[in-house]
Amino acid sequence: MTLRLAGASYRYAGARSPALIGVDLVIEPGEVVGVVGANESGKSTLCLVAAGLAPASIGGELGGSVTLGGEETRSLRPHELAQRAGILFQDANTQLSGTARSVWEEVAFGPRNLALPVEEVVARVGRALAVLGIEALAPRDPQRLSGGQAQLVALASVLALRPALLVLDEPTSQLDPLGTRLVGDALAGLAAGTGTAILVVEHKTDLLERLAGRVLVVDGGRVVRSGLTAEVLEDPSLGHLGVEPPSRVALRRAVEEAGLRLDPGALAPAGSGHAS
Amino acid sequence: MTSSATPAVAIDGLGFVYPDGTRALTGVTLSIPRGQRVAIVGQNGSGKSTLVRQLNGLLRPTEGRVLIVGRDTTGRHVAQLAAEVGLAFQNPDRQIFAGRVRREVEFGPRNLGLRGAALDAAVTGALETTGLTQQAEANPYDLGYSRRKLLALASVLAMGTPIVVLDEPTTGQDARGVARVQGIVTDLAAAGRTVVGISHDMRFVAESFERVIVLRAGQLILDGSPQEVFAEANWPSLASTYLEPPLPARVGAVLRLGSTPTTAALVRALVANPGDLRAW
Amino acid sequence: MTVPATNEGITPGVPEFVARHPTGAYAGLSPTTKLVVAFTEAAVAFLVRGWTGPIAVVLVVATTAIIARVGRRMVPYVLATLPLVASILLINTFLFPGATDVIARIGPLIPTWSGLEAALQATLRVVAFALSVAVFSLTTPTDDLLTDLERRGLGRRGEFVIAAAVRTIPRMLERAAEIVDAQRARGLDTEGPRWRRVRGILPVAGPMLTSALTEVEERTMALEARAFSAPGRRTVLRLLPDSAAQAAVRWMLLVGTFVVIIASLTGLVRVP
Repeated sequence: MTLRLAGASYRYAGARSPALIGVDLVIEPGEVVGVVGANESGKSTLCLVAAGLAPASIGGELGGSVTLGGEETRSLRPHELAQRAGILFQDANTQLSGTARSVWEEVAFGPRNLALPVEEVVARVGRALAVLGIEALAPRDPQRLSGGQAQLVALASVLALRPALLVLDEPTSQLDPLGTRLVGDALAGLAAGTGTAILVVEHKTDLLERLAGRVLVVDGGRVVRSGLTAEVLEDPSLGHLGVEPPSRVALRRAVEEAGLRLDPGALAPAGSGHAS
Repeated sequence: MTSSATPAVAIDGLGFVYPDGTRALTGVTLSIPRGQRVAIVGQNGSGKSTLVRQLNGLLRPTEGRVLIVGRDTTGRHVAQLAAEVGLAFQNPDRQIFAGRVRREVEFGPRNLGLRGAALDAAVTGALETTGLTQQAEANPYDLGYSRRKLLALASVLAMGTPIVVLDEPTTGQDARGVARVQGIVTDLAAAGRTVVGISHDMRFVAESFERVIVLRAGQLILDGSPQEVFAEANWPSLASTYLEPPLPARVGAVLRLGSTPTTAALVRALVANPGDLRAW
Repeated sequence: MTVPATNEGITPGVPEFVARHPTGAYAGLSPTTKLVVAFTEAAVAFLVRGWTGPIAVVLVVATTAIIARVGRRMVPYVLATLPLVASILLINTFLFPGATDVIARIGPLIPTWSGLEAALQATLRVVAFALSVAVFSLTTPTDDLLTDLERRGLGRRGEFVIAAAVRTIPRMLERAAEIVDAQRARGLDTEGPRWRRVRGILPVAGPMLTSALTEVEERTMALEARAFSAPGRRTVLRLLPDSAAQAAVRWMLLVGTFVVIIASLTGLVRVP
């Protein structure tokens, strides 16, 4: 299912100026698109608009066109949107229902709401927990989790809905490098294996280098750069836009500034590397 | 009696077991001289947060002892230790309670007895350092997450404690936010204050701290400068706690340039070895 | 309608910690049955005139408590009634209107036998009520009750609102404890004399509530994003035990209690 934004603009209810202006974006099934930008540049708003929650759930004014699988999001009800687009918010704690006794039941919340047969609910919960490696958390109280665990549980809850589009707002912010790697692998697997379209906001450009095929840079509510990951993340103006370039890029630049050059093979991913 | 040689923090055989029986720390011994910048790293659950909470008394040792500026923490209230150890929590929303940014920042120094001009100076200074001067009258919940994190940091900075502990100060920050935090760490140390930082970001750790302490399952497994800790010989130990050295260290190892934990160190090594076949 | 007594065969794959529910003599009954029992006990305890009502309730509750083996754990519930009971005893014994059968004259205080009798009866009602609440709480986890009620038509919103309310208080207490910890780290003194502790915690309470409320919008959005407002009945994960016999008993209890109360209130039947 394709996500298509054409000239999309959005103004929050009661706000004086728009938070998002003239965004054009297409994400096909199986594609992973990264979004970077300074904080408060409009990335989170872009997530809400892409998932249709803006305006369906929070009101406000949506201009232009936002379609999921050809249907305008403004014409879909929240629960219809939920089945097409799953969204993970920055704050995992507010995303959890607060009424589930166990992580298992928390992850089952979404599928249950859709009145799926019990066997299906069980299968989806099991799969979501397994893909993120958190089966051991299943019996735990969701209110008693660490920040990182809560984030993984919130992500599992979204995955359990099996939406065709995943919109993730900083899904690894609370995770250690291992957790970040797990989530990255899980997302890559989903995109490749099930054709899920993925829009992921991240500060960790190293992660996006491995995960995303294309990257957008958001600044002041507009998309100011858009293209293949390697090109966009090597853009020298990234720093001015509040984005940390990937380690590889930063390193190469520093070496070049010193008047030297490095064989690209030396910068190969960890573990693959001996000098070529 | 304290002298300039008294370490800011001295930990001796520290062990900690939670009330439910989980053991979180075992046999930790280390000493932090004044003005040092120390990073504490390790996977989730390795005991980092537990360790720093022993410094201000939120948690008390089950075994061993903790000395802050030469005095044992036993018998001292958390409120008393707060004058010496400032702790910025990882989740700012667990710390923020006031309706206005300025009032939030005032809380700590006020508790320590500051009033009037001294209080204003402390608050204004902290807001400037964290770039929140414009937001002084705003409601903290109208600020985004990264600004709230800086607010939590400002609230601790305003207390002027000799030891400052930062729990994951860069998570959720954009490039500017990270740069600001890096600047704050450097400035604090330059002013003679001791900085302890917990972080998952190895690049931030290598660039901003002069000493790295690695924990695994509640035990201290590595302790040294970034150059020592991220040297190739230690990679298996790092891997055992799911850590990877920063990119410059990996590149430096591939190019056989020794341990180069930061970009700057790698560049220096390359410049010093012009005969290396990978650079010209 | 007969419903199987356990749900093992109906919902394979649902983990044990999700599917489990209390078993045993009284505790193993349907939550709705236990709710009806508690409700009728409370109604009889307060609405049937005379001693018989409350005494009967106390006996019934004591029996169920013994069957369910929750006897000792009811003590805190009874202790919780002490302040109320003390004031009832004092007020009624000393200030019962229109009583002339004086026990003694102690200065300005004039206790009367009628007053004492009324006091004791009222006390017994309160204790009977407390005991029935105790047995109900101790044998019926909230989640079980809500699951059962949802199945009977309470609906997902009703279940959610009640469950959230029940969980909110402990969660806010925990959150308060975390916030207080953070404030202690900023010099708030919680280990000194009590008055200072209380004074210290007050400024934290109000804003903490506000921040809990500001989360509401984001939580609502999150719920909708998980299809909470989808139409129809949610998937049932657990079937709690019930039987035609229990259903019959519930109806009999409700009807019977109604009859007894009406009879007592209208004076048709006099019981001591």
